[in-house]
Amino acid sequence: MITIGIDAGSATTKAVLVNGESNIIKSIRPTAFDFVSAADDACEDVLEMSGIDRKDVKHIYSTGYGRNSIKFADKSISEITAHTKGVHHLYPEVRGIIDIGGQDCKVISVTDGRVMDFIMNDKCAAGTGKFLEYTARALEVPIDRLGDVALSSENPAEITSMCTVFAESEVISLRAKGFSKEDIAAGLVRSIARRVAVMARQMGLQENVAFVGGVAKNTGIKAALEKELGISLYVLPEPQITGALGAALYAQEKHQ
Amino acid sequence: MHSFKTPDKIKNSYSSRICQIADERKKGKKVVGTFCLFVPDEIIFAAGADRVILCGGKNETIPIAEQYLPRNICPLVKSSFGSLVNDGSSDVKSCSHFSMVDMVIAENTCDSKKKMYELLGNYIPTYVIDLPQRPDSPEALKYFLSELEKFKSAMEELTGNRVTKDRLREEIKSSNETRKLLHSLYDMRKKDPAPINGTEILKLLQRQYFLSPGEFKEHIRNLIKEVEESEPEENHRPRILISGCPMSGGNSKVPEIIEDRGGMIVAEESCTGTRSFWDPVDEDKEPMLALAERYIKIPCSCMSPNDRRVDNNLELAEEFDVDGVVYYTLQFCHGYNIEKHKVQQALKKAGIPMLFIETDYSGSDVEQIKLRVDAFMEMLS
Repeated sequence: MITIGIDAGSATTKAVLVNGESNIIKSIRPTAFDFVSAADDACEDVLEMSGIDRKDVKHIYSTGYGRNSIKFADKSISEITAHTKGVHHLYPEVRGIIDIGGQDCKVISVTDGRVMDFIMNDKCAAGTGKFLEYTARALEVPIDRLGDVALSSENPAEITSMCTVFAESEVISLRAKGFSKEDIAAGLVRSIARRVAVMARQMGLQENVAFVGGVAKNTGIKAALEKELGISLYVLPEPQITGALGAALYAQEKHQ
Repeated sequence: MHSFKTPDKIKNSYSSRICQIADERKKGKKVVGTFCLFVPDEIIFAAGADRVILCGGKNETIPIAEQYLPRNICPLVKSSFGSLVNDGSSDVKSCSHFSMVDMVIAENTCDSKKKMYELLGNYIPTYVIDLPQRPDSPEALKYFLSELEKFKSAMEELTGNRVTKDRLREEIKSSNETRKLLHSLYDMRKKDPAPINGTEILKLLQRQYFLSPGEFKEHIRNLIKEVEESEPEENHRPRILISGCPMSGGNSKVPEIIEDRGGMIVAEESCTGTRSFWDPVDEDKEPMLALAERYIKIPCSCMSPNDRRVDNNLELAEEFDVDGVVYYTLQFCHGYNIEKHKVQQALKKAGIPMLFIETDYSGSDVEQIKLRVDAFMEMLS
């Protein structure tokens, strides 16, 4: 059976086509303003890549913040369930998931591929990809280099504010005090890690914890989180696609 | 879901009730406004006064209040204050409830409310009942009883009527009848699937304080009959207990999302739920003492220690056979927000999943709440 999962995230839209259990085709596109056309384009991408005709797709399931606006999807499921399904498929031993996305951060406790409990930070940009984006801009470091820059610091600066706007001004005042970019970047990364670690500890995550979402690609955050939690995190080769994959797998399961 | 006629009828009786209260006031009847369950209705009615609940669930009046109050206090307090001080300079419709009361009967519960009442006194006569905060000590009961005695005298002074023991007994009997009727209604919610959804029940309970007790009883009787005669639903939906902050009239965002996303609220551990009617007043005791004993036991998070709420959650979860608990709090409501931890631990131990939602009256987090609720429902089914 052929199914497609679409993760309509705030920053990027991901589509994954699953043909049976093993054949997985994926596409990642920026969401921009229009959830629906981004989803449609991502969908076309995977169809083209796989050479499959749209009418041969049995079911399309959506997830992500835009999940309910993708009208051509048969059903929508939450990202929490979708990520859990996707991660469990790639990493069956998973007991916990840390998902840092563009707008929010989720921590999920997992048993046998099922969600047992979860918490989310969605009150503000604190501890999310958005926070990194803003502060990296204040540092004039490209976002994809922020992690490596942070890792080269031996003396991380102390960032005390978790509010994105105030952290930005804190960065400016640290620069005025003469701190290096590396030290400030390391401080920023550590402040996110601390924030997320509080949530992970609340969920009681201990071992077999997967780190997913766009921010998982940031090596500095991964290292800082591992240090905070005292465990090593499993980063999937493609941490951004687990939601879309999970949605496609969920559709496979539902219509077996 | 079956739609019932009674909730609409209650909604419609609003306007006639406003006219009725206005007429009675012209004839000399006193009307008081209350905010909180700690104020015993029985004393108000025994003094021959009428009672309405004051607004506190609308988002529109919050910006008005923020001219006077700090932004980071709970929306219920801000909304209440904004409803009163609304000077008509904005487009916000004034709350008619405030204009029809002779006195506000307030109570010392949380810090924000306490301080808000001090300001409220500048606009409208405000009487404050002081609550002891350690309800389990014998001194607390004695003190609360003395506070209720003072309140009784204040009501006598306001109305010019004496509150006799016989009148109190009559009112206690009447309010116990209401409580019994509500219990019968709640017994029906124990069925699976429940025959009536929680959002309808919430709106019913929110409106009870605006109706006369007789009128309210009549409506519940009718509703019970309607529910009995309705066709039962077929599909099981995750059975949810809502626990936490009160939901004043106008505030039904979270229950609506829960039931829209496939859940069924079967009980509420909250002031706008079971807490308002669960325990009766002892009819065999000396009436003032019986009232003090009943009301001091309300497990509000302003009390300390407050294990009663933990027990209540566990008992209701079992009695209503719930699949999960949604712990609902208002932003900056420290009491309920902090008590979340204790409740969560107890539920976890009992193997009952809990979802925590902290929100305000705005629509800014509707999508985020939907996501959490979706995930919670998927987890439960």
